[in-house]
Amino acid sequence: MIKIDKKTKDQLLEMYKTKKISLEGNILKVIDPDGDVEFETYIKESIEKDKDNRRKRLDVTKQVQSKNTDLVKSEKENDRVNKQLKSALEEAEESNKAMLVAKQEAELALEDAQKAKIDAENARIEAEKARHEAEQAKNSAVNDLELMQKKTQFELIGNIVKVALWVILGVGITTTIVYVISLFAGFNTDVIGSSWVNIMSILLTNAFSIIGTLMGMKTMSDNKDQRQP
Amino acid sequence: MIDSILLVDDEDLFHLVFEDACSLLDITLSLQSLTSSDEAEKLFKKWFKEGPVEERPECVFVDLNIIGSSFDGIELIRKINFEYGNNVVIGIISSSNESEEQANAIKAGAQFWIIKSDDIEPRLEEFRKDYDGYKNRTAPFKIYK
Repeated sequence: MIKIDKKTKDQLLEMYKTKKISLEGNILKVIDPDGDVEFETYIKESIEKDKDNRRKRLDVTKQVQSKNTDLVKSEKENDRVNKQLKSALEEAEESNKAMLVAKQEAELALEDAQKAKIDAENARIEAEKARHEAEQAKNSAVNDLELMQKKTQFELIGNIVKVALWVILGVGITTTIVYVISLFAGFNTDVIGSSWVNIMSILLTNAFSIIGTLMGMKTMSDNKDQRQP
Repeated sequence: MIDSILLVDDEDLFHLVFEDACSLLDITLSLQSLTSSDEAEKLFKKWFKEGPVEERPECVFVDLNIIGSSFDGIELIRKINFEYGNNVVIGIISSSNESEEQANAIKAGAQFWIIKSDDIEPRLEEFRKDYDGYKNRTAPFKIYK
């Protein structure tokens, strides 16, 4: 404890009475009034005044501290919200980029589809052409086949006609030779004459019949060819 | 009444709160406040190597997370207890109430854990009642909520 001399005590008391200025702080707690009632009262009042001031300061400080804490919390919340906003913005930008990429891909796909459509159309036209050519080739083949068949038929008919004509000619010549020999040899030619006439007439008739048949067949074949495309 | 107290806390406003609360509760007459654990370590190193021993505080309150310091409050307590051996009453004063940190503080030699709040005075008053136990090293670790 600190003891204070009389002169200092009087000065402190005088200062308190006239100007209301007193000692403050923990120093008051270590001053010994040393039996001086007036100075003891001064010390007690000063301690109370100091306590009041400290209490007020403590309340204000606590309020400031509380506001500071709130501000820090608000700042943290703002930071959190800002981060969320930034994150959302980044996500939106990413989505936008992804959308643009998807759009470009869709446009490319559309172009590809259009190209594919054009290719398909070209392929269809080519297929149509090929089909047409195939049909033409088929028709040509059929015509060739028919032509070959006709040719074969005509050749066969021609051979038959030739053989028939040769047979007719042979029979006619043979019969004529036999008839001429019979005439010059003095044989009875009644039978052979009538037979020769009959044979000749039959042969002529058959020959004309064959020729007529051939002409008819040729005419029919020509008409059929004209009807086909 | 505690002879002298050292407060290590990065928050200046809390220095005022703590000083006023200690004064109103007559906990101590001598209070020194520091804002970093590095400063506190320097002082304890000096007192340990050079002295004078009388200058060292009787009790130390350390914040858990001291912004702007090289190490936290628990490390400071460990250094004071195990490196500088000043045998002071020492503990944490923090707004944190994490049991894992409290376990670490006990390992470092902390004797108490006071949770900071707007209503700090009742906790300090309770602490003052238990103080003799801490000084005699008979009181167990306690958390003031």
